Amino acid sequence: MRFNLNGRWVEDAQADPQSTILRYLRTQMAQVDVKEGCAGGDCGACTVMVGQVTEQGLQYHTVNACIALLASVHGAYVITPQGLASDGELHPAQQALIDHHGSQCGYCTPGFVMSMAALYQQQFSQADSDAAGQTVSNRPADRLNAWPVPEDEAIHAAISGNLCRCTGYRPIIDAARAMGEYPAKNADAVVSFDPKEINVSQENGLQPLLKKQQRQLFLPATEEQLKALLQQYPQATLWAGGTDLGLEISQRFSQFDTVICLHQIDSLQHWQHQSDEPSGQLVLGAGMTYTQLEPVLAKDFPSFAELLHRIGSRQIRNLGTLGGNIANASPIGDTPPVLLALGAQLEIDGIHGRHQIAAQDFFTGYKQTRLRTGEYLRAVILPKLSPSQTLHCFKVSKRYDDDISAVMYAAWLEIDDQQIIQARIACGGMAATPLRAYTVEQALTGQPWCEATVLAAAQQVEQDYQPIDDVRASQGYRLQLVRNLLLKTWAQQEVVA
Amino acid sequence: MSYQSSLLAPYSERRQRPAKGRSGQSLAHDSAHKHVSGEAVYVDDMPELARTLHVAVGKSSITCGQITQLDLTAVRSAEGVIDVITLDDVPGEKDIGPVFKGDPLLADGRIEFHGQPIFAVAAESFEQAKRAVALAKVDYQTDTPILTIAAALQQNAFVRPAHVMQKGDVEAALQQAPKMLTGELYNKGQEHFYLEGQVSYVVPTEDGGMKVYTSSQHPTEVQKLVAEVLDVPINYVQTEVRRMGGGFGGKETQAAQWACLAAVFAKRLKRPIKMRLDRQDDMQLTGKRHDFYGRYRVGFDAQGKLCAADIELAGKCGYSPDLSDAIVDRAMFHIDNAYHYPAMRVLGQRCKTNTVSNTAFRGFGGPQGMLIGEGILDDVARAVGRDPLDVRLENLYQLGDSTHYGQEIEDFPMAELMTNLASQCEYYSRRRAIADFNQQHRFKKRGLALTPVKFGISFTIQFLNQAGALVHIYTDGSIHLNHGGTEMGQGLFTKVAQVVANEFDVDIDTIQVSATATDKVPNTSPTAASSGTDLNAKAAQNACLTIKSRLLDFAQQHYGVSREALRFCNNHLVVSAEQETWVTFADFIQLAYQNRVSLSSTGYYSTPKIHYNRDQANGRPFFYYALGASCSEVEVDTLTGEYKVLRTDILHDVGRSLNPAIDIGQIEGGFVQGMGWLTSEELSWDEQGRLASNAAANYKIPTSIDVPAMSVTLWDKANSEETIYRSKAVGEPPLMHGISVWCALRDAAASVANYRVNPPLNTPATPEQVLNAVQYCQEHGA
Repeated sequence: MRFNLNGRWVEDAQADPQSTILRYLRTQMAQVDVKEGCAGGDCGACTVMVGQVTEQGLQYHTVNACIALLASVHGAYVITPQGLASDGELHPAQQALIDHHGSQCGYCTPGFVMSMAALYQQQFSQADSDAAGQTVSNRPADRLNAWPVPEDEAIHAAISGNLCRCTGYRPIIDAARAMGEYPAKNADAVVSFDPKEINVSQENGLQPLLKKQQRQLFLPATEEQLKALLQQYPQATLWAGGTDLGLEISQRFSQFDTVICLHQIDSLQHWQHQSDEPSGQLVLGAGMTYTQLEPVLAKDFPSFAELLHRIGSRQIRNLGTLGGNIANASPIGDTPPVLLALGAQLEIDGIHGRHQIAAQDFFTGYKQTRLRTGEYLRAVILPKLSPSQTLHCFKVSKRYDDDISAVMYAAWLEIDDQQIIQARIACGGMAATPLRAYTVEQALTGQPWCEATVLAAAQQVEQDYQPIDDVRASQGYRLQLVRNLLLKTWAQQEVVA
Repeated sequence: MSYQSSLLAPYSERRQRPAKGRSGQSLAHDSAHKHVSGEAVYVDDMPELARTLHVAVGKSSITCGQITQLDLTAVRSAEGVIDVITLDDVPGEKDIGPVFKGDPLLADGRIEFHGQPIFAVAAESFEQAKRAVALAKVDYQTDTPILTIAAALQQNAFVRPAHVMQKGDVEAALQQAPKMLTGELYNKGQEHFYLEGQVSYVVPTEDGGMKVYTSSQHPTEVQKLVAEVLDVPINYVQTEVRRMGGGFGGKETQAAQWACLAAVFAKRLKRPIKMRLDRQDDMQLTGKRHDFYGRYRVGFDAQGKLCAADIELAGKCGYSPDLSDAIVDRAMFHIDNAYHYPAMRVLGQRCKTNTVSNTAFRGFGGPQGMLIGEGILDDVARAVGRDPLDVRLENLYQLGDSTHYGQEIEDFPMAELMTNLASQCEYYSRRRAIADFNQQHRFKKRGLALTPVKFGISFTIQFLNQAGALVHIYTDGSIHLNHGGTEMGQGLFTKVAQVVANEFDVDIDTIQVSATATDKVPNTSPTAASSGTDLNAKAAQNACLTIKSRLLDFAQQHYGVSREALRFCNNHLVVSAEQETWVTFADFIQLAYQNRVSLSSTGYYSTPKIHYNRDQANGRPFFYYALGASCSEVEVDTLTGEYKVLRTDILHDVGRSLNPAIDIGQIEGGFVQGMGWLTSEELSWDEQGRLASNAAANYKIPTSIDVPAMSVTLWDKANSEETIYRSKAVGEPPLMHGISVWCALRDAAASVANYRVNPPLNTPATPEQVLNAVQYCQEHGA
């Protein structure tokens, strides 16, 4: 196990396989500028910036160190607030926070610093892509000052996973806007990154990366290695982003015998357009993170892409994967209802060979799926929309950003000449699994596309769903929401038309 | 500007410019640089001494009942476990109730709430301690818990007796009033969600005493309780608090339990002990803001002028008294908010429930009472068909009026403040624009509200209104400052240092503020009730005045001039004889030292004028009132109940600001916290009494996108009372600006019934509650 911490390489073959980045940094490295606030990936006090080696140089993103496994940064660069200022000069994110009175108690501040520093770095990449052909290493010094002030939306997205209980955020947002006013600082300098170092190591993924007593962790680099490991350890815990599984360690202190991390397997992060179906289809690797999905979905499924911005936070979207959201089979996962409404297919592989299953047949009960022992989710296949088809996604929660849905609603409609040809409605939060509203769909199909049809169909919601009362919403509210979201779908469609 | 190294600037330069960091300047927080660089040390960040152990508690799996059998065998033999204790192992006092008894350090056999700590484990690592506590076998005899205010009222379950405040003949006035309304409102509590959880690190000392590093707003109480629990005199224990990662009242009394548990282990094992609560334990095991239920009858005339109100308030205290007596009192003190009721009766009930013991939270009951009071004003306005702002303005206290607890209203420019805000934020033209908008949008409705805040400043427990400070000047002119107030992010250390800088007119970076420590300044009050600066800055000023007086006596004699010929200016002593002599502060201090002048002093302050007879519910509990007003506009989606707060304007009275940036920070932060309390932050317990909202995943404080376009203006006029440089306390009052958001949400809901219906809107006003309110208006508005 090897990673770069603030410019210094750390090697440790003895680290606990289940150590999170946070636990390791605080207890083994005395790196206490990284704080634990919630140990659940919800508050962002533990945010660190991770630099991954790519063909284009280092690409930086933020993660919640409290739930991310140490193994997830194997071969990567980790930056903390002290690292940002290790040359004695504060980073623009840091100086701007001081000048705008962005810290009060200061406990959340290191996390904000890292989210803002990642935004700062991202703004550079944007400036770079504008100035084509210039990589990090040959970027002229004067270009460093061409730092585009981020849009408010980008600022909110960058800090959506950082909670501050003192300031009310206004001074932090002001600081984020002002980062360009300070002498520029490139994160590559912090970690002493030399582009010549780029060397994706070919390690043997069949050997455990970390092992302690009977507990071990594997980091396969290919699907072949993964399948071989599954043959040997069919009961192993598969770890994708770990944004839910991580809580087993950080909050419940569980211990797993064998963990297989999936994030190094390139083929699970590929995506491609195929033109089989009438309108073609989009094949998404199950290991794609939400952040990777955002640009890919933007053109063909804008409503889905917009929904992604409300899944977790930037840090969570950098870790969490599409496949994880599906295989985790939570009744309140945000993507499964969309997949059901779109009529998506899931591709499964593993010790029983490769096969496909319709997303709507995948979920069999509360946190239960048709995935068998020794199998993994390989890809998700989305049929694209024809001009007569539309997709509507509504997520309702107590808080706008980084909250779990009370109801996640998705509707796919095919309308021709003001007539509903076909409808698929699916919801999360309404049953033990993500579930289609078949009776409602029937009430819509073949009917004229008008308010009366929608109101009549809304009367059928209780035939399809018998939700429960819980911490997020009451049964009555959930039912009323689905009725009203049908009406909202109509209202939205009307505006579009 | 931060406190960096102008100590090294030559005096020739410092003479040419005003001293840095005088009061009134927007100086950065004294720790800002350390916050952003990650160098600020919180208790859990301190380097651990060798042999440090970590503590976790074993928790009850039932809500109410009796432990019949406790088998800790598996716990004791778990990996890494060194020691296990129950209440029987506590050497001294077993009850750590802060005012009244009722808080056993660990369960005494009786279980009063779900998760109540039964035993504690010390282990080599935090994870080992957490895994070990899960291995206990506990048998219980289960009783039916009381989980709600309604059930407590029905069963007469109270932690303290009821209390009444009354003015005038309320029944007669209600009978004579032209109109009468009844109503009720339930406001749920609030989780503090300080980002740094509860934590203590205890190191045994050579005398059998303890050095306690704790994240507490009340180091003196932690010191006293640790001493009592260990059965040693108070002077065997020293408590130190450098900073907290947020407090908000949650660390006033409820930091003590964890320090005491760690101290018991430290005494038994003679090893350093750390106890920190992870987020879920913190949320489950520490008290929150009280839920309040209020019901009222209010009499008024056709114009909405108030005649009388009869109000019953019931606070959900949890299983023990903690600070609930004073909290329910403060809710009662603030039910009137800024309005004159010719007759009023308020009954305050302290309900006992089988839930964690609720505690102080920014506003201390005041917000809960004020919310109900503002709900009444809106109800009255809609009942008479007038704009709520007009009805509010016409009911404001006039000079000379008395509150329902007998305090006379002096210096009350609220009408001016509210009308200023109304014109600044264009209230009336926006009101018309909203009417148009609502007409044009079928599924979107906007609402607007402008509400005042009048918040009483002083601890209502009179003896707490005192403070001490300690100031040393060293021979190079550098100054050491210490006082009894704790720093939890509010900028107290910065403000008090500014006062000291001001007194000697020296650069603030020549002043070093050290951690709050019970062996430096003893017998301190909690940093609470917004009083931190009022009390501690005055005490520090008094210490400075003592030293200054000695220095000036000496200078008078030494330079042979009159007192009037001496002044401190720009880091110098200026002696004005026939010609002006500028002596650098450092040289002057060195001279004074060589002439045997004492350069160190304590300072003390106690608040004047206050008195209150609780038996008669009459007196002047508050030295003065902090005032302010806010105006919020919201947009509601009437299909889902989702909403967005579009804009908030705040005009707030901080007197003469000691530090405008810090004061604005308190106002904005307080407003957003108040908005969170009333909107997205929902505490919930299941029917067995288990906390369902037990993690950041299901308890939602605002994020950046929830914050409206905010404009905050300071009402920068001198306090008429003689506070430190005529400033006003700022910690709690702005939280209540969040009430304007709730009123605006009700306004938006009422718009669907043409403002003729008063929508019920219990808080938090989650989208679900807002949708219910909208539907109520749709159903009742026809």
